[in-house]
Amino acid sequence: MEIKEIKFSQIASQRIYSDYMKRVKKVTNSLSKEDQNDIFMEFNSHIYESLQHKNDGNEIDLLLDIIERLGTPEEVLKPLVADKKLVQATKTFNPVHVFKALVLNFTNGISYVFFFLLYLLLFAFVVLIFAKIINPSEVGMFMQNKSIIAMGYVKTDDNGNAREVLGNWFIPFTLLCILVFYLLITVLLKFKKSIDKKRK
Amino acid sequence: MNETFVTNWKSQVKKGTLTFIILNVLKENEYYGYELIEQIRKHTEIEIAEGTLYPLMNRLKNENLVSSKWVEQETGIPRKYYCLTDVGTTTLIQMNEYWGNLAKSISKII
Repeated sequence: MEIKEIKFSQIASQRIYSDYMKRVKKVTNSLSKEDQNDIFMEFNSHIYESLQHKNDGNEIDLLLDIIERLGTPEEVLKPLVADKKLVQATKTFNPVHVFKALVLNFTNGISYVFFFLLYLLLFAFVVLIFAKIINPSEVGMFMQNKSIIAMGYVKTDDNGNAREVLGNWFIPFTLLCILVFYLLITVLLKFKKSIDKKRK
Repeated sequence: MNETFVTNWKSQVKKGTLTFIILNVLKENEYYGYELIEQIRKHTEIEIAEGTLYPLMNRLKNENLVSSKWVEQETGIPRKYYCLTDVGTTTLIQMNEYWGNLAKSISKII
């Protein structure tokens, strides 16, 4: 559907309107194009219909009044953007969306902070990859008597009988761990969201 | 009289019943955002912060209680109409029943 902007007779009104709609766009710009357009069109329609129904008085006064009643986009759209972002994040599994959704939802419960920390822990694996490159003999997957005793850093003095088993395969293995845990945490986030929905 | 307490209490009641009011307004007809606000005002004299209606409608959509559709207008500025879904209708029946019982109980003690 084509987005048509409202035309005003006074330049000042046009500027106030454009400024307001620019703010709506800015607040929603982390969402999908479809959601952005949907919110833009709905606010646009609200302003237009309000103007049509209150056609007595000065255009600029009417517009200011309508905008004031709608509220500041940064405030009123915050819960809408947070909701839509979370849906998008758990649908696409895109880390950028996940990160933004969690930050937007921090105020909606401590569990989102917990999820954020879980994602941060994934960086521990990244650190391991670099550690393996720097110190290949002391970092890796260590086995002793056919069982895994450590994944990570083991001091040479302590690893007496322990043997590093993965060698250079440790890096792809760690990458795989990151991927698996990432998917797992995101599925958990999705699951948490659907529980919330049932509880509401 | 503790006026602040009464004012706070009134705003809590309004906030708590807004969803219920919206669903009841949509029971008979489909409405677009601005019209919906007007209907709420007309029936309940509740003044809502207009912008907050849209996040609320999105939540109701996510809950599958309402659905929406864009309808093109001659003016070139389309309207987004909201209506109750089947789930919304049956949910509302339950809500209205609960409200009826609650109102009856309360009227006995006031």
